[in-house]
Order: sequence, then structure tokens, then C-alpha cells
Amino acid sequence: MPEGTTLRKQSLASRLLKPQYIMVYATVGIFLLIYLYGSFRFGKLGSNDIGFNSLRTFVNMFKDNAYYGISAVGMTMVLITGGIDLSVASVACLTGMIVAYGTTKLGLHPAVCMLVAMVIGVGLGVLQGAAIHYLNVPPFITTLAGNFLARGVASLISRESISIEHPMIDSLAGFKIYFKKFSEGEWVKVKPIAFININLLVFIVMIIVGTIILQKTRMGRNIYAIGGNEQSAKLMGLPVAKTKIFVYGFNGFCSVLAGYAYLLEVKSGWNLALQGGELEAITCAVIGGTLLTGGVGYMIGTMFGVLLKSVIPALITFNGNLLSWWGKIATGGLLALFIVIQRIVVTASDRSEARAKKKKT
Amino acid sequence: MPDHCLLEMKGIEIQFPGVKALDKVDFTLNRGEVHALLGENGAGKSTLIKCLTGVHHMDAGTILYDGKEIKPTSPQDAFNMGISTVYQEINLCPNLTVAENIFVGRQPMKRGAIDWKEINRRAAELMSRFHMDIDVTRPLSYYSTAIQQMVSIARAVDIDAKILILDEPTSSLDDNEVKLLFDVMNELKAEGMGIIFITHFLDQVFAVSDRLTVLRNGQLVGSFGINEITKLELVTKMIGKDMDTIFNLKRAEIAPDAPEMLKTDDLGTPGHIENVNITMKKGELLGFAGLLGSGRTETAEVIFGAVPATEGKLTVNGKEVAIKKPLDAINAKMAFCPEDRKRDGIIGDLSIRENIALAVQARRGFLHPISLQEQNELADKYIKMLSIATPDAEKKIGELSGGNQQKVILARWMATEPDLLILDEPTRGIDVGAKAEIQRLMLEMCNDGVSVIFISSELDEIIRCSNKIIVMRDGNKVAEVDGEGCTQQTILNIIAEGTQEGGKTA
Amino acid sequence: MKKKKFDISSIMQSKITWAVVAEILILLVCFIIRPDFFKISYQPTTGMLYGSLIDIINRSAEITIIAMGMTLVIALGGTDLSVGAMVALSGAIALKFMRWDVLVYNTPGDYTVMPYILVILVPLLVCTLLGLFNGFMIANIGMQPIIATLILMVCGRGVAQICTNGKQFTTLYSPFRVIGQGSLFCLPMPIIITAVIVVLVSLFVRKTAFGTMVESVGINPSASRLSGIDSKKIILIVFALTGLLSAISGLIYSSRIMSNDSNNAGINYEMDAILAVVIGGTNMSGGKFSLAGTVIGSIIIRTIVTFVYYFGIVSEATMAFKALIIIVVIVLQSEPVRQKMAKMGKKKKAADVPKGGAVSA
Repeated sequence: MPEGTTLRKQSLASRLLKPQYIMVYATVGIFLLIYLYGSFRFGKLGSNDIGFNSLRTFVNMFKDNAYYGISAVGMTMVLITGGIDLSVASVACLTGMIVAYGTTKLGLHPAVCMLVAMVIGVGLGVLQGAAIHYLNVPPFITTLAGNFLARGVASLISRESISIEHPMIDSLAGFKIYFKKFSEGEWVKVKPIAFININLLVFIVMIIVGTIILQKTRMGRNIYAIGGNEQSAKLMGLPVAKTKIFVYGFNGFCSVLAGYAYLLEVKSGWNLALQGGELEAITCAVIGGTLLTGGVGYMIGTMFGVLLKSVIPALITFNGNLLSWWGKIATGGLLALFIVIQRIVVTASDRSEARAKKKKT
Repeated sequence: MPDHCLLEMKGIEIQFPGVKALDKVDFTLNRGEVHALLGENGAGKSTLIKCLTGVHHMDAGTILYDGKEIKPTSPQDAFNMGISTVYQEINLCPNLTVAENIFVGRQPMKRGAIDWKEINRRAAELMSRFHMDIDVTRPLSYYSTAIQQMVSIARAVDIDAKILILDEPTSSLDDNEVKLLFDVMNELKAEGMGIIFITHFLDQVFAVSDRLTVLRNGQLVGSFGINEITKLELVTKMIGKDMDTIFNLKRAEIAPDAPEMLKTDDLGTPGHIENVNITMKKGELLGFAGLLGSGRTETAEVIFGAVPATEGKLTVNGKEVAIKKPLDAINAKMAFCPEDRKRDGIIGDLSIRENIALAVQARRGFLHPISLQEQNELADKYIKMLSIATPDAEKKIGELSGGNQQKVILARWMATEPDLLILDEPTRGIDVGAKAEIQRLMLEMCNDGVSVIFISSELDEIIRCSNKIIVMRDGNKVAEVDGEGCTQQTILNIIAEGTQEGGKTA
Repeated sequence: MKKKKFDISSIMQSKITWAVVAEILILLVCFIIRPDFFKISYQPTTGMLYGSLIDIINRSAEITIIAMGMTLVIALGGTDLSVGAMVALSGAIALKFMRWDVLVYNTPGDYTVMPYILVILVPLLVCTLLGLFNGFMIANIGMQPIIATLILMVCGRGVAQICTNGKQFTTLYSPFRVIGQGSLFCLPMPIIITAVIVVLVSLFVRKTAFGTMVESVGINPSASRLSGIDSKKIILIVFALTGLLSAISGLIYSSRIMSNDSNNAGINYEMDAILAVVIGGTNMSGGKFSLAGTVIGSIIIRTIVTFVYYFGIVSEATMAFKALIIIVVIVLQSEPVRQKMAKMGKKKKAADVPKGGAVSA
């Protein structure tokens, strides 16, 4: 068979229906199910109220968890290598603290403080990556140290919440792009008012950047290779050390960005901010189809993971009768569901592998 | 250095803790030749290769490559110099596609991004050169081991490699695939590549190599042109002793009225074995022959409950038993030394004592511990009986040599005082002396009334020891022959059944 | 020369040695700064001993108890992230049983609504069952421990909140107070409980073959199974035990505050417990474990915290100190560093005995 036909033949259906993509489809599917359910159930609540199916609710789902989403981009990469990073929330917290303290107490320009925070965050990530690779310390322990260190330092800077007031922060936080529609000869804002803020923009940009890194660069493919089998990656001559250090460094970068995003939201730095946030980021990635064992994961899945995580609290708010704690339980349930699906998919592909092997012999 | 010479390794020495792994070894490789590297396990073949690929660092000696002295520091370094290695275990990433596995790390780029179309096109082209029309966009894990092995070779040759090292690449391939590989090797040779070929299968050495080098105990025995040496001479050089003097063994004698020990009726598990019927007597040694994956190991796994049977009946000692997990089998007085000692046998970080007591302890359950004193008695008894080379019973089993590890595993099972002992490749990867000892031990146990199932890919040792030989093929029992008077050719013919040459078992 | 005990390099390599040395060093620093750090006084009115050392051991009780289970979990090659959530849940159930219906029993007092035996037993039972659930997911479904326990970690606190309807109860019931604030033999009750548990677990693990089997499964699951070890049973027991111990720890915690606090009870306990185990010399990748090391590890953690409190450093900064300790410990325990040290030890020995080395070996 000439290879031209082989390539063309599988360019349509089979290219989309690869077993690798099943998890992403599951995420998208479950998100749509919940979203459609909410839209039918709470679609219109009186004439002035904001319905579940409104553009505003949809955009808010991106916005509410944007900082977790930004962090989840880096976390997805870390998880694909088969590692884990528990330091992200603390680094984001430290970022907020540095910027708030520097601006309010020391009178520095926030841009300078942000730069300092960035250097520290990326530096810590790089150090963690190096320790994991060269000292052969489990990522869990290394980044646990990073977690404690970052939050400890944030606490040493200040135990109180420091609010921040600076025109640059205000203008960044106030930046809005309104959704408009063309009606009666002019552009008017859609009702209920929906807008995109800078956090959402950064989130979307990071998803795109993450996708490009993972799918279009050698570094990205090395990340998958290491997650598939690190020993093999080494023997295949791939730059394992460089890749791992890059991944943890990039995750530090994402954590700092998430810190900025959170700062814009609350306009203050607090040493206890975002406690437990690392698990939120991990959860987003996992319900987005990233395997905690490494080797599998897609940015687009992570994006839907974030949406899926936001749609549940939204639904609970709209319901009105439920305790918000059900949100946590539902997220846990969802996590369990996804883990079980992953397990089934892996077992099924193992079986097809065994069958293929059997056929061969 | 003459012009045709591609690689010259001179006076290579490597010292490992306690052993001299390589002692002044010389090795040369010419352009456009296949050079076989031979020796028993532990002779230093892989150490020499790892020295060339930068995994180990030499304590003395020089490597001249293309006329220049090199000192590879890592596999990556060697790879960049054009020294490419294919290992016995598949070192690829199961989650990536076939195409990507070939190109990862050196993907063709277009406008700063990976050119996926080009990757897939070139991969398909490369695989079809190996006569493999497979969908290269599927994950590697989708394909069989043989195809995976081909992919790793494809990866190795696609770079501008000048030296290709094939470290036991054929152990998971069937004969057609081996032929295919040889064709590819000959093509590459014609292009001027130097190929170092490591294998245990002597027939393959004579089929494809131009020259061969033999190592023994870390020392160079010699290098020979393929026509300068016969197979028998080669074996003698590898082993270093006259074989007959080591292997002076007598088959086990079965009492005429010996009761039936094991009987299987249409035993089967889908994907493993089908309708296997075996009977064996007390004190009998039953050999299992067949190629890798033929069902010889699989039958043992099903009998022992490692993979539970879904069909058929199993009768042990005259009683029908249901065996769902290994513990059931242990309770029925069976024992099983698995093929992959490292993966399925040793508990590396535990001591020899703990490893020996493990199975007995498992049978008793953790609430009835064996006292330390009893454990020590057990350990001392077997260390002495099997002459396990160790200063004391507290040494970690992971720190022992392969042969001694195997003896500890054997001791673990002998301590359970089994009626039926299954040994899957007990002599693989251990030196000749230990091999002979294990065979002698096996036969002694038979004479003490233990029934032994002996699985091996080395036909001569099966024929030498077995009372009866079961030949497996494609998950089925195809023949049962008497050990007495049986020749290798008989069994090879059965395995091949006229369709293939049983070329793997030299 | 024959006795291994006097082999310097093996002592240098022993991980527990470093933990003991670290603890002594920290205590020494405390002593130098404040010589009265070691003072222990007797209070006749309460019949209890007081002093920093007593306090350290008393306050380390919760973590020590959980870490006993965590040691076994880590020896199996796993981690249990759900212990903190179980601590919260255990307290919530206990308080719920004591107060039951706050509308009827609307003031806290020295009473319990449900029998005291249930107040104690039900939390223990529930958490044991949840531990069994974790074990089931791991042993029978074949999930990675970190993933399986992540589920309960995410939703456990939610369940605790639901259980008390999102409210915080307080109680004055005196038998309940005894658990966390009572005393026996002049020592605080938590110390007694911890001592009993440490002894019981040690006996169970070392006087039966359970410990060896845990190590065996942790080192090589496949070989263990083929040797007849019922690894499923081992995993189930270990995780159930960890659940039970978390529940006990939760009861001590809520007895100390005489209240339930689903948000903060047991927060970061999983991290601290893992830390205690790792400082104690048990490898994260499973295998040989040391319960004694874990106890020391837990005490080290608490010593640092007490140190920080005692010398008036910002309390949240303990995080930074913990991080420093982890960094020191992981660097000392990491493979490359230990190999180097072993080599140094060997060289020294070789220098001592220039010719006799081979004879003594």
C-alpha cells in the first residue's frame, strides 16, 4: 500500500476518535451535560434576573477560577511528566505578598515588585526541578518544601493582610472588554452585562501558549516522553534534566501569573491566601483528563476541567437551597468518576495491547 | 589506525566494587561489518557496550572512533557522536505514537513548529522499508513487542549513525521478524555502518556476522573471522571448560508404582493457553520446550494461579483443587520460581533470611510469625545446602550475584517443602557453574520424591534432565516425548512443524 | 571488625541517625538561647508536669498517631492524602453526637445527647470504613494511592460540614475533655494515648510478620504475590488502620478545642505526617520503614514549631523553618549525597586498614 493512502485514509474519523482523546471528550461531554441541565432548569428567572444560560454566567465561569486555570496550565505540564507540584498556591500567595508589601509599605512601583516576584517564583521552580532531577528527591517532598518555604516567607513579610492601592493595579483590575451587540444602528452592551477582564485574557492566552509548547515544540514532546517512560527518554538521548527543570520553572511562572490574577481580584496580599489552592489546580487538570501517572494530558482538556469545576458551584448558587459544601462533595465525586473512567480506559487499552500481542504470536 | 577501521577500543578496564568487570579488553569494529559480541552472562559484554555508550566510565584504556579519541559521558553524548543503541528491553515511550517514537528529540521543524505531517510521512516510509505497513499515528502501546522492537531499530538507524549496537534484539522476535531484521542489517552494512550484534542465539551469529569477539569473565578470549571458527569451538571458548565434565548428570528415576502428582484436564485461560492436558508422576521431571510465548511459561502461571484458569480441571495429589491465586497453589504444596527473577522473584531490599522465609510465612499468615531463631535456622540450612556465597544471612538479596539470588529463591520454595516444584528458566543469566549446580539440585529433589516442571529455552539442558518433554506451540500442547533418546532435532522439528525452522534455540 | 554495629559507614548511611542528630542539634540551640528550655515543673493543683519538652511531645500527639499509619502507607509505596479530612470528619461526628439537635439542646453544657460510647466509636468506625474505601480503590480497583486518597481529601471536609449542617458546635462535656486535656500518671492524656498507640502498632507490626509483608509488598508487589502474600489484604489493613488512627487524632484535636472545626481541623496534617515519616528515614518509594524514626520525625516537627512560638517568632514562619528542615533532610538523604558519604566513610576505613580490608570483609 503506498503510504499516501495510509495517511489520507486516517485523516478523518480515526484522527479524531483516537483513544488518547477519550478523556478530553468525557470532560467536554460532562460539562455540556451539566451546563445544558442548568440552562433548562434555571434558564430564565424572571425578566431582570440573570439566567444560567446567559452569556454573563458563561463568561463568569471562566473568570471565577481564572487564577486556578492559569496555575492549572503549568500543573498540567508537571503532571504529564509524571511529577506533582504542591508549591503553586504558596508561590502565588508569596507573589501577592511581595507586590502588596513592596507597593504599599516600601513605595515601590508595582511593576518592579511584580518583576521581583517573577524572578523569585521562576527561580524557586527551577531549583525544585533541579533538586528533583539531580538529587533524585520525589517531587512530592521537594515541592512540599517549596510550599512551606514560600508561605513561610510570605508570613515573615507580614502576618496581616496588606491592601494595595496604585493606579497601575487599579487600571489593570478595571480593564474590561464588554460584549456588545449591534442593535438599532449602534453597538450596545448585551444584557445582562458580560465582559472579559484581564485575568480571563491571561488564562486563555496561557492555554494557547501551553498548547503550542506541548504540541508544537520539541520541549513539549520531551515532556510527554518523560511522562511515558523516563528511563527510555534518557536512553533515547532526550534532554531529561533540561526538560524537567523547564517544566518546574514554567510552572513557577504560571504560579506567579496566578498570583497576579488573584491580586487583581482581591487587591491585597495575605499570607493565608489561596490555602489548599494547589489541589484545586491539580483537580482541574485531572478532571480535564490529565493522567496523574504521567504521559497523557491536553491543555484544552484542562480548560474544560476549569469550566467543569466552575459550573458546579454556579449550579449550586442558582439552586439556592443547597449548602455550598455540596460543591466540594460534588467535585470529589466528579474526581472519583474521572479517575474510574481513566482506569477503565487504561485497562481497556491494555487489553487491546494484549490482544495485539497475542495475535502476533 | 587503518582506514577501514571505524572503532578501536584498547585496553579497556573497569573496576566495580569487588570485581574487575573488564580487564584489558580490546575490540575493533570495521566499517560495513556486523561484529558479534559473545560470552556467557556476566562475561562483560554489556559492560563493554555501556562503556562505549557512556553509561559506565572506564578506569583505563582508550576509545578511538573514526580516528579520534573519544570519551562519551552519557548515552546522549554517544548518540550525538553517531553511536546508536537498541536494547533488549524496549526503551521507547508507550504513550507516544510510533512515528513520534522514531523522531522524538529530532523532529523535523517547519516555521519554528513541529512538522507533524512530515514526521508521519517519514515514519511510514521508514516502517515500510522494514516491510511493516502499520498505522504510525497509533500509540506504541497498541502494538506487539516485536513491532515495538522494530520501531526502536528504526529510530536507531534513522539518525546518521555510524555505529549501531544491537543488544539482544531478537529475543522477542519470531523467525520471520528475525529474517527481516537481518535483511535490514545487511542493507545498513552495505551503506557502511558498523554493527555490533549481541545475542545468545549462535545460529544467528553465523547467519549474519562477519566477525566475532568472545569475552569471558571480563577478559578477552579472542576475535575471529566467521569462517575461522566452528560452532563447537565457539561454545568451548565461551564456556571455557569442556562441557561434558560439568554436565555429568543422570536422569531422575521414577518408581514404577509412583502415584500421579498432577493432572490437568483441558486447562485453559483465554489469551494464554488452550486445552492443555498434562499428567505427571511423583518424582518425575517434566520438561517444557517451545519458543518464547508458546505457552510454556503461561501453562506454569495458570497451574500456579498467577493467572487463574477459567476452563478445565486441575488435580493435584489425587484431589481436584480450585486455584485462584498463588496462595491456593502454595497450600496445595506447589512452588513456582518465576522466569523474571528481578521482577517476580527477589525482594531486593530484604535480607536473604527474610527472602527465604517469605513463602513459608505467607502460607502461615502474618498472625503466626516464624520466630527469628527459626528463620535463622532455615536460612543457615539452605545457605549451606545450596552453597549460597554470602558472608551472612543478613545481607540484602539485591546485593548478591544472579546465580546466588536464584539459589535464594529456590531456597524460599524448598523451605515450603513442596510436592510439585515449577522452575521457569532457573538457569537463565547465571554462570555455568551455578547452572550445573541447579540442575544437579533439581534431579536430587526428584529422587527425593518431588515432582519438578522444568521450563527452559535451552533445549540441551531440557533433554539432558527431563523424563518427559512437553512441547508447546501457540498456547497449545503439541507433543509429548520421552527424554531418553530424544535429540534436539526431534524437538526443533516439532516446534517448527514443517513450517518454520526452529532457529532460535541453538 | 566483624560486628556490623560498629561500622562507621553504615551508621553514616543510616537515615535515622541523621534524624536523631538533627533533633539534638535543635534542642541544643534551644538550650543555648534559653537554658530554662528543659525545665520541667510539677503543678500540684492539676497534678500534671509542665515544661517545654512535655509540651512538645503533647502537641505532637496528633501527628505522631497519624504518622504511625502513614509510615506503613509509605512503606507500601503509597501516600494517604485524606488523613487531614478524616481528622475534621471525626471531630464533626463526635460533636454532632454530643449536641445532636441544636434547636433542642441549644446551649453547650456538660452533657451528651447520644451515649458517650457512640460519640467515641462512631467516628472511629466511620473513618476506619473510609480508610477501607481508600484501600479498596487501591487494592481492588488498582488505583494509585495518591489519586484514590485525593478524592476523600477533596470532599472529606465537605462531608464534615454537611454532617454538622455547616455549623460549629461547642461542648463542655467533661468525659470528652479528658481525651485531649486530661492527665494520667502526671502526664497529659494525649501523651499516654500516643504512647499506647505507638507500642500497640509497633507490637502488631514487628511481633507478627505484618511489617515484613508490608515491606515486601512495598519493595516488589509482583514477587510478593507470587510468594503467596495476600497483598490486597495487607493494603486494606494498612489504609483502614490509617483511617482509624486519623479518627483518634481527630478526637484528640477536637477535645483540645472542645469543638468541631471542619475548616481548620487537621489542615496540612497529611503533609506533616508524610514529613514526619520521611524525616524518620523511611523512603518515599516504599520498602524498609522505621516507626521509631517516624516518632522522632514527628517530634522534630513539633520542636521547631515550639521553638518558633517560644522565641516569639511569627508563628506562621514555622512553615519556613519546616521547609529548611525538609531541605536539609532531603539533601542528606538523597542518593547522590549518601553515596558520596559512604565513599568517604569507606576511604577512611581503607586508610585505617591499608591491607587488612579484604580479610575483614
